[in-house]
Amino acid sequence: MGTLKYKKTMAVIPAYNEEKNIKKVLEEVKNYVDEIILVDDGSVDNTFSLAQESGVIVVKHLINRGQGASLQTGNEKALSRGAEIIVHFDADGQFLAKEIPELVALIKNNQAEVVFGSRFLGKKSNMPWFKEKVIIPLAHLVNKVFWQVSLTDPQSGFRVLTASVARKIEIINDRMAHNSEIIAKVFKNNFKVKEAPITVIYHHFGQNISHGFKIVKDLFLNKLID
Amino acid sequence: MLQKILALFVIALFLGRLFWQKQKKQIGVNEFIFWLVFWFGAGFLILALKQIDQLALRLGFSSSGIEILLYLGIVILFYFIFRLRLKIEKIEKDITKIVRKIALKEK
Repeated sequence: MGTLKYKKTMAVIPAYNEEKNIKKVLEEVKNYVDEIILVDDGSVDNTFSLAQESGVIVVKHLINRGQGASLQTGNEKALSRGAEIIVHFDADGQFLAKEIPELVALIKNNQAEVVFGSRFLGKKSNMPWFKEKVIIPLAHLVNKVFWQVSLTDPQSGFRVLTASVARKIEIINDRMAHNSEIIAKVFKNNFKVKEAPITVIYHHFGQNISHGFKIVKDLFLNKLID
Repeated sequence: MLQKILALFVIALFLGRLFWQKQKKQIGVNEFIFWLVFWFGAGFLILALKQIDQLALRLGFSSSGIEILLYLGIVILFYFIFRLRLKIEKIEKDITKIVRKIALKEK
């Protein structure tokens, strides 16, 4: 990879009742970014205090507002602290922190302005069958119908963006539809996009089919409100 | 005939309550006008039931006018539910904005 220019890199990690995994995730991510911004999304367990003990920057939503809302809050905090590169990462330990540099490198050497982690580009993931064969293809279809956008993994929460992208994209879907929203806005603004292979470890199923319906409903309502 | 009188009586009651609310300033001007038009419209439709019957017949509906009014009522209700959903969605967004502002302000 050679020598890459230094850029202030921050991870934004939304967390809702993640006391079981949060410490380990923060310890791992710490090694690969300059700062971590943990957005505690109104957790009722010890997520907040555990995160504070870890010495990362903690921002707290007084009440639960959803992952999309948390990411937007995190983005704003990161930007206000001078982040040049922002990494979106999950708090439940399903992603591998050691893959962060691979994605960040694509931005540092100007290959992309946004990098989406994809579970379908070669690396091994133990994805449940139903999710792989039914839910992801459906999400794919929805993205295509709504915005004519095609990515191999439309529901991945592991992504890296430059500050200017974060500034341009305001996430307004508070709940689950934000994945599709971010993709749509990235393409609409013609940012340079890359996909990079990532590994996903499934502790539990993640989003199920009723989530899928909620996503479609949210997207529909948002189109009307705009 | 008795039904019509009864219906008109109910509408008169609602209208009375509406004016009372307006006087007590419990509702805004827009809302007042909306309900005024709504109840007057309802009264008019009841008085014109015979004409609506004929209209329904001419349009090819086999049912009577009062049923048409019921259909219309359901359509209007759906519209209200839809409006409510949009409003709730907007309020949710506003709540998020407030929560975010507080979160970013705190040290």
